[in-house]
Amino acid sequence: MSTTINGPSSSKQSEESPYGPVGKVLNELDDRLGIAKGGRGLVDKIFPDHWSFMLGEIALYSFVVLIATGIFLTLYYVPSQALVTYHGAYTPLRGQQVSQAYATSIDLSFGVRAGLLMRQMHHWACDIFIGAMVIHMARVFFTGAFRKPRELNYTIGITMLILGILNGFLGYSLPDDLVSGTGIRIAFSILESIPVVGTYLAYLLFGGPFPGTAILPRFYIIHVLLIPLILIGMVTAHLFLLVRQKHTQFPGKGRTEHNVVGAPMVPIFAAKATGFFFMVAGAIALLGGLAQINPIWQFGYYRASNISYAVQPDWYMGFLDGALRIWPSWEWTGFGHTIPLEVFIPALIVPGIVFTLCALWPTIEAKYTKDTAVHNLLDRPRDRPKRTAAGAAIFAFVFMLFVASSTDVLANFSHISLNVVLWAMRVLVIVVPLITFPIVYKICVELQGVPGAGKRKRANIVSRSETGEYLAIPAEQRPGDGHHELDAETVPSYIDFQDEEPQDPGTRRVSR
Amino acid sequence: MSDDDLGSFSTASPDDPHMQPLARHPERAEQLIALTMVIGIVLVVLFGVAYWYNWKPWTFGVTLGGGILFLGFGITAWGKYLMPKGPFVEERHDLRGTDEERDLFGAAVTQRGAGILGRRKVLAGTAGLGLLAFGVVSIFPLLRSLGPLPALTPTRTGWKRGTYLVDSTGRAIHVDDLAVGGIVTVYPMGLQDTDQGQATDQTVLIRLTDTNYTTRPGRETWGPAGYIAYSKLCTHLGCPVGLYEQQLEQLVCPCHQSMFDVTNGAEPDFGPAPRPLPQLPLYVDGRGFVRAQNGFDQPVGPGYWERS
Amino acid sequence: MPKLTKQLLLPALVLLTVGLTMMILFSGGSSSATTSAESIPSTVTAAQALTVPPAAYQTGRFNSGTAFSSVRVHNSSGQLIAYGNRDITYVAPSDKLIPLGEALYMQNCASCHGSTANGVPANGTPGAYPDLRGLGPATVDFWVASGRMPASDPRNIQAERKQPRLTPTQALAVAAWVNSLSPATPYVPIVHSIQTADVSDGFQLFSLNCAACHTITGDGDALARGTNAPSLRNIPATQVAEAIRTGPGNMPRFTGNLSDEQVRNVVAYVTGYIQHPRDPGGFDLGGLGPVAEGFVALSFGVGLLALVAFWIGDRT
Repeated sequence: MSTTINGPSSSKQSEESPYGPVGKVLNELDDRLGIAKGGRGLVDKIFPDHWSFMLGEIALYSFVVLIATGIFLTLYYVPSQALVTYHGAYTPLRGQQVSQAYATSIDLSFGVRAGLLMRQMHHWACDIFIGAMVIHMARVFFTGAFRKPRELNYTIGITMLILGILNGFLGYSLPDDLVSGTGIRIAFSILESIPVVGTYLAYLLFGGPFPGTAILPRFYIIHVLLIPLILIGMVTAHLFLLVRQKHTQFPGKGRTEHNVVGAPMVPIFAAKATGFFFMVAGAIALLGGLAQINPIWQFGYYRASNISYAVQPDWYMGFLDGALRIWPSWEWTGFGHTIPLEVFIPALIVPGIVFTLCALWPTIEAKYTKDTAVHNLLDRPRDRPKRTAAGAAIFAFVFMLFVASSTDVLANFSHISLNVVLWAMRVLVIVVPLITFPIVYKICVELQGVPGAGKRKRANIVSRSETGEYLAIPAEQRPGDGHHELDAETVPSYIDFQDEEPQDPGTRRVSR
Repeated sequence: MSDDDLGSFSTASPDDPHMQPLARHPERAEQLIALTMVIGIVLVVLFGVAYWYNWKPWTFGVTLGGGILFLGFGITAWGKYLMPKGPFVEERHDLRGTDEERDLFGAAVTQRGAGILGRRKVLAGTAGLGLLAFGVVSIFPLLRSLGPLPALTPTRTGWKRGTYLVDSTGRAIHVDDLAVGGIVTVYPMGLQDTDQGQATDQTVLIRLTDTNYTTRPGRETWGPAGYIAYSKLCTHLGCPVGLYEQQLEQLVCPCHQSMFDVTNGAEPDFGPAPRPLPQLPLYVDGRGFVRAQNGFDQPVGPGYWERS
Repeated sequence: MPKLTKQLLLPALVLLTVGLTMMILFSGGSSSATTSAESIPSTVTAAQALTVPPAAYQTGRFNSGTAFSSVRVHNSSGQLIAYGNRDITYVAPSDKLIPLGEALYMQNCASCHGSTANGVPANGTPGAYPDLRGLGPATVDFWVASGRMPASDPRNIQAERKQPRLTPTQALAVAAWVNSLSPATPYVPIVHSIQTADVSDGFQLFSLNCAACHTITGDGDALARGTNAPSLRNIPATQVAEAIRTGPGNMPRFTGNLSDEQVRNVVAYVTGYIQHPRDPGGFDLGGLGPVAEGFVALSFGVGLLALVAFWIGDRT
């Protein structure tokens, strides 16, 4: 039974282990997979604890929820534009000729048990997924985590953001309802507007003129298979790079460029991560049950000559809608050709510039600051005022585009003429980023100058001496403020559980 | 993961401050967390009950979501308050290899790899060319088989000389049908239920006045008895321009609020639309039905490269 | 007082107060309550000539809201007092209301619309206020019963819907008097058997004709140059039908392009599913669509979860 055929010093018999049956299983796995060395490294791996490092986890967990609920939906949804007569539960649709895609989506909502919950969870998870990616990206940007050696991870992240937005658009277009169908019509026109190849691209993607019957099955397979495959691959790469390069950390007591201070994977980080996963999934399920989203039965089936006012795309496409609304009607005609610049620029050029700028930012910053060193410590945003102000200005620009997509809601709410609101948006989209830059810059510089800014202030106890003099004495530190007074030490491999003290017979020691 | 790490064994006693929980009263914390876990279990089981007996949809979400939320809160609180609080540290080794490793790697790639190619330039060139040719050609079926080429299709509509204007039910529009200030969406007769009819041929018919109306010079006969017809496809992005304000005599596109002046040939006087909506010339035949004199005089809908 | 009575006194008082309050608040009702129009005898032969001169909303289509309908009812003097069909009956306000209407008109409307309702006020700009003659009682009834008239600020581009100053009967009275100056159609519509209408057809018609301004959920929104399409959530059936047939303000009028049966279906859809939407998914977030949903996702979803992360993680 001894296994000394090959292998280095196998001092322990692989069948027996002092760690019980679990240890035995680990040994067996190590025989086959060689996991002891790498596994220990993984189990001991330290993850820094700062709360802002968990924002990316929100995106990861909502992605998992998307896949799980999405699989449920694929079991019922039929991606076909063939017309069927609806005979289901929702009376205003009975007898109408609708596409199978719409009919099966309605059946999911009214006929399949928990179908509406799954549909709504899927949609809420998508909104949260993209929102979490955005604030995660903002955290990475403002703390400088994209610097060497993490430029590749940052690029992967931006690509995932773009793919997530695209997949969201494809996904909410699948039910073939009036609101999302209008979005598909607009997408067709945007493709058409590309010079030289526009009409070809549009006709090839749609399999002919709008609407055709090919577009929904194609959207479906891209949404369900192609992009999720790419996303899963990219998420894996993203996490692998994170593990390999180890997470960044803020400067602080005991933290250097050459160490990582935090909690080990097992058990603490695993517990927090699993618990947070459940909380994210739970929040999505609560929203899915309590807050109605995308009520396609109220919108009706998409017919190309029907339209509703106040049609909006999902929130993450809002910047496109806003840009399209405010752009002046410049169309270039000449030499027998037309370039609709009022479509091409806001729908393709402007987002292209913004995303390219974001993707190239590590290169731009490295060139500008001439900094090619490896950075594992993060910056506090106030310590890099120019980067923070530039990021805030870009963010403000995109945010104003979002605001511009709700011109009619603003006009309705504030009783200002729609025309005035639109002109105001045209001006604000340029002015707000321009004034954001110096304001944020100033705020950063001022915060730098104030010691202890952002930290919880210590109370001052004011006392009056007998001679009438007022004295202000800082109060004691609140418990928890000096949390990290311990020096970091390495993860213990062995915990020396003392043997229990011998007890007198008849006594029982109770811990209090 | 270098060999040094194998040597970094360390031992801790349970009294080590790093191994202590964060909570000041761990037993109380444990009881509270146990309580939240129990609530979570109850809610999750309740989800099963709700599903079994088909309660209202919102109960599914509340029970499932609340249950998982409480369970997650419990596990997280366990990790944060009851597990060793640390902090712990590990060394971060340079990712870069040693200079010697870099040298070997660089040599392997350039000399054994790329260098070999350089010694047989003809073969390398032909191999590269072959791969390039394959790459280009393999895109052909991927792209071209997707659909037909546009050709002249964007310019064609179903409106021809004499086409009857029908509403969505297929009923032909008669000159006595609309009152002044009315609007109806019309299609070429026979095409009202087709994709092409709805997507491309869709037209709005407005009655501006009681008498013949001229929107622009040269269009004197286009508006018989005050009936004016414009393509419903917005010239911005193709949304149906169904929003008509009869006193302002404006067609407003609901998508991005382009405003078209109905009295002068749907000229856009606000918003992003670049061109007026094409007008369909009409006439009233002997029996009083409103019909098209001809098709549109230009392609309908948004602009594209080939549109001259 | 016996103990039981004392115990019941307070709850009874509370119920009484609540009940009275509810009756006062919700007793608005529709103008249809005031006309006994439920049973129109079809005593007219087809050959009987129309005795109403052509109106601004005349269309030649049969059963489309004009006197050219299946059923026509005349009074003893030969005046047309009702017309319509099984779907909608259009009823003229009773002549007995005319004196009341004249008095109310002079009190509330003459200062802008003139003492002869021709749009020439006593000392205002002639032509600034519309001529009300020949528009039919449905028009006047719609504007007054919905509270838009008397207008709070005549300089606004659009008179806003507000709490009506005149009761439904008073509104009909004003309509009766104005109509008596220059009798015209359309009369006040009464939509029959809304529960058995074809809401599916109504939904499709609503989507094609109404959603472009009022939105597919009927919430309304701002339109061009300061105008707006009002919300449809709180409108009685008669006003829906009146608005469709008369096209008030910037709203286009649907005459010959919608038959009475189609209008009835639209009214059924609006009163049934626009005003009582099916929201099995939970709170409808105001029915504002993806913008509201995005706001909730970012604030309640991502925001609350970020707060949870703030709790879980370190702050240094």
